[in-house]
Amino acid sequence: MRFSKMMSLLSLAGFLTILATKPAMAADDVIRIGAPLALTGALADEGKKQQVAYAMWLKRVNAAGGINVGGKKMKVEIIAVDYQTDEKRAQQIAEKLITQDKVDFLTAPFGSGHTKVVAGVAERYGVPVMASVASSESVFNQGYKFLFGTLSPNGGITENMAKMFVKVMPNVKKIAILGREDVFPKSMANEMKASAERAGLQVVYNETYPVGMLDHATALSKIKASSPDWIYISGYTQDLVLARKQMSDLKITAPIITMITGPSYQEFITALGPVADGVTSASWWHHSALYKSNDVFGSTQEFYKEFVAQNKSDPDYVNASAAAALITLQKAIEKAGTIDKAKVRDALAATDIMTFYGPIKFGPNGMNQGRELPIVQVQKGKVVPLFPDVIKQGSLQAIK
Amino acid sequence: MQAYIQVLTNGLMLGALYACIAVGFSLVWGVLNIINMMHGSLIILGGYLTFFGWFHLKINPLIMLLIVPPFLFLFGYVLQYVMINRVIARPVLATLTLTFGLDMILYNFMNVVFEATPRRITMDFGSFSFYDVVLPGDRLLAMVLAFALTGILYWVMRTSRIGRAIVAVRMDKDAAALMGIPINRVYAVTFAISAMMAGVCGVLMAVTFPVTTNISGLLLGKAFAVCVIGGLGSVPGALVGGLALGLIESLSGNWWGPQNAVLTGSVLMIILLMTRPTGLLGKAGYE
Amino acid sequence: MNSLRYGLLWFIPLAILLALAPFISNNYIVQQATFVCMYAALALSWNFIGGYTGYPSFSTSAFVGFGAYAGALLQNAGMPMVLAWVFATIFTGIFAACLGFAILRMKGHYFAIGSISIVEIVRLIAASWSSLTGGGEGLNLPIFRGGPEHAGMVFLYSFLVLMLLAVITTVIVDRSRLGFGLRCIEQNEDAADMVGVNVNASKISAFVLSAIFCGTAGAISASWVSYISPPDAFSIVMTLKVPVMAMLGGAGTIFGPVLGALVFVGIEQSVLSRFLDYNQAILGLIIVFLIFFLPGGLLRISLFQKLKQRITKPSTPEVKS
Repeated sequence: MRFSKMMSLLSLAGFLTILATKPAMAADDVIRIGAPLALTGALADEGKKQQVAYAMWLKRVNAAGGINVGGKKMKVEIIAVDYQTDEKRAQQIAEKLITQDKVDFLTAPFGSGHTKVVAGVAERYGVPVMASVASSESVFNQGYKFLFGTLSPNGGITENMAKMFVKVMPNVKKIAILGREDVFPKSMANEMKASAERAGLQVVYNETYPVGMLDHATALSKIKASSPDWIYISGYTQDLVLARKQMSDLKITAPIITMITGPSYQEFITALGPVADGVTSASWWHHSALYKSNDVFGSTQEFYKEFVAQNKSDPDYVNASAAAALITLQKAIEKAGTIDKAKVRDALAATDIMTFYGPIKFGPNGMNQGRELPIVQVQKGKVVPLFPDVIKQGSLQAIK
Repeated sequence: MQAYIQVLTNGLMLGALYACIAVGFSLVWGVLNIINMMHGSLIILGGYLTFFGWFHLKINPLIMLLIVPPFLFLFGYVLQYVMINRVIARPVLATLTLTFGLDMILYNFMNVVFEATPRRITMDFGSFSFYDVVLPGDRLLAMVLAFALTGILYWVMRTSRIGRAIVAVRMDKDAAALMGIPINRVYAVTFAISAMMAGVCGVLMAVTFPVTTNISGLLLGKAFAVCVIGGLGSVPGALVGGLALGLIESLSGNWWGPQNAVLTGSVLMIILLMTRPTGLLGKAGYE
Repeated sequence: MNSLRYGLLWFIPLAILLALAPFISNNYIVQQATFVCMYAALALSWNFIGGYTGYPSFSTSAFVGFGAYAGALLQNAGMPMVLAWVFATIFTGIFAACLGFAILRMKGHYFAIGSISIVEIVRLIAASWSSLTGGGEGLNLPIFRGGPEHAGMVFLYSFLVLMLLAVITTVIVDRSRLGFGLRCIEQNEDAADMVGVNVNASKISAFVLSAIFCGTAGAISASWVSYISPPDAFSIVMTLKVPVMAMLGGAGTIFGPVLGALVFVGIEQSVLSRFLDYNQAILGLIIVFLIFFLPGGLLRISLFQKLKQRITKPSTPEVKS
């Protein structure tokens, strides 16, 4: 065959292959939820947490016959796709889920950055998207109408911590802040600085470290030199594990050591052993909460029990928030009585419910209204909630 | 003053680790003329194997030092003979891309089998103090081991037949061939040694850092920098380069803040590439 | 030249097909077509410095990211979108020229390493210069108004035009003295110098050419996604994928990069949907396959070469293939 003809046929064939992938599914009695997840790449760990939680919710919902849509029960299908922690892929997959797979609703992946991307796509198509792990205001200030997040804004956490710690330990006067140069940790560091200053503390150190830092010794040595009473570090699990360990090696300590969000995850405690003791943190949820709710789980206890039985480890706020996001969607569908996207969107905006994860009520920007977020401390290898009073199980202990 | 000594000490300990990361990479680049993009992942592989040996089988990591590196030696030997040898003569674009492709496969495999959760061996090695300068036990141990093993490698290269053959090939491949040195075997052994040192580094890292596939690219980047600074293909070069990089990062982090520590190292590397690509100890070699 | 005509024989239908995508299929296919155009433009850019000149550059992402940030900052300052793209391109070109003076004196391995390090350095700078770039938090861009179909078309055609511009530039360079000079440099730089080729000027020109389309692509992408952040804008994976695409199709040829981009995106798509967990491994295998069995790229497979010879010289005695 002539060379050029072969080439044009090849390119045509290539194109037709792309065209031929998966014709849209026709089943009408199923509610389809698209879930772009980071199953590989830098956020793979976190993506799996969401996946596990979604699966738990799905099982219960379908076991009950599905979601009640205006009198008819419709089963739910979750279409999970790996976007490899790649921003362009996230956008691509969100589009694909909407246009090819014809999903009715979307979930957002872990992290503020990629949530923004997915939300942008959803907004263009008018598809409601449930964000379970995005808490930075900058994600929700774009004027998106179809984005709803179950995590409360970052600012609330640092305010509560500053107020409480200063009250319980009035000798704490100086704080050192070290943040990771990345969407969420940077935001947490900024919020802490603002809250600390409002609480009358002196910020003696305030720097960031780049993504990919293998050694915190220099920054920590400088922190030591400024003799703070409170050391606050933000980052992802591996950064925090490393930092805490190096602090211990270099004999750097302070009465209060706070890390966001390390101690909220089991792997932090496992990786550090006894050195993890005394570290405080704040989270959006703790499994010892005593919420009772009218959702597929019924209570925090129920969720906790099932999770532990299935996964042999404690659930963290990512798991809970992810499941709660889908519960909220379910409730909105039930209330709207239809899966019409615009109507469900309106029902979501008017949400005011109690779930096993806690109360969910969205503010005008789509974020779950700030409420009393748990402050925890690792004591003897276990995560102990200190605040708010309803779930308090221990008191703040100064680190010797 | 004391603070500066601490900064310097931190830098040296970090540097020893960097040297260990880079020595295998440097050998392969210098002798085989190949930029091995898999190096970072090989280190992580060593780290994961060590961790799982410790976690599931309760084997002390120091014992793993005797198991993991030989395993990686074999792995490297086979890999080189079967795959890399075929592209030895090709230009850097082909070889780099090939090792990049192989790296993707290895990386994916590790993610699927081991998962990306950061893992660390939680053994307490304590901490030592010299007049207020603190030396964490595990880093000290890692540094000592890094020096020791690199030293052994150097000695082996200088005295053993295969070691001297490697050096000969590095200096002049054709002359070495004419002298009867089996080039392909030398290549395979060099690559295997590189993989073995990556394994050693992996064991050491499992003890000092949380190990996760996410940082494999980072480690590779450090290896690049060390090679450029110290010079290619020689063990002393990797040592000097590693220590230099460690010190630079530590000092610049101290002066200009942690966010610029890594940047300084990279900028320095570019400057050296432009002015003295052979590095501090290197001889004019491969371009 | 015959190879140009034969290349056009399949390229023109392809371009038309891509342009018709919004009218013959849904938005997802349009998006795929957009990606094909984008990667084709990037691969064509790389071709100038990597294919013609033989300098293994891995700086693609540095320029894409630079263009993305330049475009984003300009748009945020109020400049209309397309104008922002144009200026982003110009700034990227200037950046490349300055960079070229510095790193084009290195060769081979050192140049490769240097070019990758540039990506890292620019990323680190973008991350720490938060007052300008928003640092780790990234930058938001104004969302492109207009429904998804409209947006899809706009960006498809933007990238399509970019790809066409890159192709035209390649053709011009290929036939010009610059192209000749670059090929000489690839063969033997010192000999080229002796023969009278202005080696420095040629190399820098090639480098700048390899950068400007990347800059535009970055700026367009930023407007498309409406959000950029350092690790996404300066992606190491992309900077390694683009040369692979060019090599897959045939580095140093006019249409090779386009073919490579098309095939690569096609494979990636079919792999992505079917093998969730093994995406990277399969792409790795493709790369390994490419290096072992397709050293010159698809357009240089000897079978095709021999057929081409047969076609172009009908009067000579038949060459048995």
